[in-house]
Amino acid sequence: MNTNLKISNVTKIYPGCIANDNVSLEFNSGKIYALLGENGAGKSTLVKILSGVIIPDEGKIYLNENNLQLNSPLDAKKNDIGMVFQHFNLFETLSVFENLIIDSDEQRESLREKIDSIMKKYNFSIDLDIPVLNLSAGQKQKVEIIRCLIRSPKVLIMDEPTSVLTEQETSELFLSLKKFSEEGILIIYITHKLKEVMQLCDEVAVMRRGKLVSVSQIKNENLESLANKMVGQNLKTIKKKKANISSDQLIKITNLNFISEDPFETNLNDINFSVNRGECLGIAGISGNGQSELFQVLSGEILSDKNSIEFNKNYIGDLNPQERREYMVAFSPEDRLEQAAIPQMKIFENVALNNFKSSNFFNNGLINEKKIREHSKKIISDFNVNTDNIDLKSQFLSGGNLQKLIMGRELITSPDLLICFNPTWGLDVGAINYIHETLIKINEKNKSIILISTDTDELLKLSDKISVINKGKLSKIMSADEVTSEKLGVLMGGGEID
Amino acid sequence: MRLPLRNLECLWGEEKLIKIVKRDQPSRAIFFLTPILAIFLTLVAGGLIFYILGFKPFEALKFFFIVPIADNYGLSELLLKATPLCLIAIGLSFCFKSNNWNIGAEGQLTFGAIVSGGVALLFYDQEGFYILPIVILAGAIGGMLYASIPAILKTYFNTNEILVSLMLVYVSKLILDYLVVGPWSNPEGFNFPETRQFSDSARLPLLFEGLRIHAGIYLALAAVVISWFIFYKTFLGFQMKVSGFSLKTAKYAGYKGKKMIILVFLISGACAGLAGVGEITGPIGQLHREVSPDYGFTAIIVAFLGRLHPVGIIFASLVVAITYLGAETAQIFMQIPKYTGQVFQGMILFFLLASDYLLFFKFKFIGSKK
Repeated sequence: MNTNLKISNVTKIYPGCIANDNVSLEFNSGKIYALLGENGAGKSTLVKILSGVIIPDEGKIYLNENNLQLNSPLDAKKNDIGMVFQHFNLFETLSVFENLIIDSDEQRESLREKIDSIMKKYNFSIDLDIPVLNLSAGQKQKVEIIRCLIRSPKVLIMDEPTSVLTEQETSELFLSLKKFSEEGILIIYITHKLKEVMQLCDEVAVMRRGKLVSVSQIKNENLESLANKMVGQNLKTIKKKKANISSDQLIKITNLNFISEDPFETNLNDINFSVNRGECLGIAGISGNGQSELFQVLSGEILSDKNSIEFNKNYIGDLNPQERREYMVAFSPEDRLEQAAIPQMKIFENVALNNFKSSNFFNNGLINEKKIREHSKKIISDFNVNTDNIDLKSQFLSGGNLQKLIMGRELITSPDLLICFNPTWGLDVGAINYIHETLIKINEKNKSIILISTDTDELLKLSDKISVINKGKLSKIMSADEVTSEKLGVLMGGGEID
Repeated sequence: MRLPLRNLECLWGEEKLIKIVKRDQPSRAIFFLTPILAIFLTLVAGGLIFYILGFKPFEALKFFFIVPIADNYGLSELLLKATPLCLIAIGLSFCFKSNNWNIGAEGQLTFGAIVSGGVALLFYDQEGFYILPIVILAGAIGGMLYASIPAILKTYFNTNEILVSLMLVYVSKLILDYLVVGPWSNPEGFNFPETRQFSDSARLPLLFEGLRIHAGIYLALAAVVISWFIFYKTFLGFQMKVSGFSLKTAKYAGYKGKKMIILVFLISGACAGLAGVGEITGPIGQLHREVSPDYGFTAIIVAFLGRLHPVGIIFASLVVAITYLGAETAQIFMQIPKYTGQVFQGMILFFLLASDYLLFFKFKFIGSKK
């Protein structure tokens, strides 16, 4: 039987962010659909709405013309919508079988037969009586899939299913998904990995900043066109004036590796690059390819081998962020509200987070509030933060003003190197321009920048050299003149160029 | 914080007279009003329970909350109970403010009492001004040693401090049990599970003749002042604040996380240990099985009721101390089991957590839809 799922004008607004902005989509069984977008594009919100975890502010969902009221995950299950989340919802200490029957009211014996027949049909081999903690990630995922299949779903939603799988497990998963699709189950596949979309899916819907930007047939797309749609392409190419970059090397990264214990993080693989004084190195890539890990390794939140980072003739790989700041490196992380600043604290308290010895914010362990206040006032006026009240809690600053405050805090001491990660993410045009001008000025003063960004326009505008990070590996470093957005698109999608 | 909003959105049928809306920012006034609201709700619910049990609610509440502190003796008892609660809660607020969940203060109290009691017993037949300071110091060190166990396990082996500190409570109680029954039991004590009486030089001086309130209260007050200074005037306090809001930010700022975890546990343990010293060298005067009526656990409620603020904790410790006294009065005059006191403590915490909902949400009257 044909299944038709329709999302009609769905909107979900969170304070300060529109997660889904009037999204309408239609799916038919027999095809595998990709929902593509960067982290924060709104695809997870959309599938959580489909699975009853989140209730939309506006909009309706129809399954075979019936308007569904999805008020809880249970409602979704009752309406034959199955969902496999990126993070597994399994009880590690219970057996596989116990995990499978936990939300079912059928008889144990008949269920066992049913599960056996499902496993036979799809060639799954999992021992039902061992505890889940003994399974590999791929097997755990199969358990989740079986749990959906028990209910004979009409729709199966997979949220970033391959992030914890090996290549072998991934291809097994794809085979199963194709089989499900042939049997009439409607598959919606959420991911930010372009290659997988090309490999597996029939149609692709791309989301960006809460909006649906395109729906198209896979056969009409390629890696590069999808990458451009995901990160947003804007044809204006204002480049900064080619500065006189000195040949004086400021920072050099040699054989930098990071292997994470967390399967949801990306490992960094043999990173090598250097930046000269007055130069801006841009690092492009689709988010989730190791940018966050690279930033943390550079900032010292993750320590590495002492010799892997050479800064101004000092080896600083084993120093923490505070110790690195003393060498005149500054950091502006991606997450303004949860990392770079604390919204519940006042402006001047947030200024004190960046504590150079020379700034004397803390003398003999005591807070020198007067000093911090003076310093804060200077930052506010020098960096155009739109307030004159340093006792204001920073949650009342707009994103742009908060970012100016953070930039100001990092830059007011004139550091030799600024490492920033998505510095204009989520800001309005005015604030973006201000930040861009600020970054250009830094280079003009013969100071250096490492700019990790998922915004291609921004990188082309500001960088002198560009490299692309994909799956934790850096591409070769290209001069900004020879780079085109097409080339970047190919590299971001995991392709090769000569 | 995700709360099951949708069930509450419509309180009165279809017409939605009241809507629950998220506040733009947590309300500062509500932050300090909710503890008072929680106490009020506890009184209402307590009155209701008394009514169901067949007592007159107002009379019962009077026996519980007013009679016990109606005279000087009562006030002295109130301060006597509030002192350890305040001291421990101050210590705990160092941990709680910085995202460390030490719930084993009862164990740190017990171990502090064991160490200081052991030292006091060494001097049982001696007099001298130097004895008391040594005994007090020993108690603080004992509490610190005991608190360092969950801290070190957390920093170096990634264990969960809630479980470790809680389980260590029972370990310390069993150690105490063994000591007072076995090696430390009073040779002239007819095998009662208790030690010798400490010498007068190892006892905290009484403040008033005939009342039990002792000099331990000065320790608690000193802790209040010092903690206020540390929280709001020092780099350590600032680091604790930042870590409490966001560990990610603390890491980014380059604070030494491990060092701070150990430090706050040590401070917390020292306070709990001192509370233990106060009990055994104050009202008790020896070691026996029950050095504390669960002060270490109740102090968790005190710390939160006082909003982890030193001054708030003073008031909270007084309020919660009444439940101890009230329970005893109620048992004597109304034959209600004294465990009612714990019911009241539980209710305070319960209502406090419930009314914290108001920090993030407010009721909005939107009128009938007709």
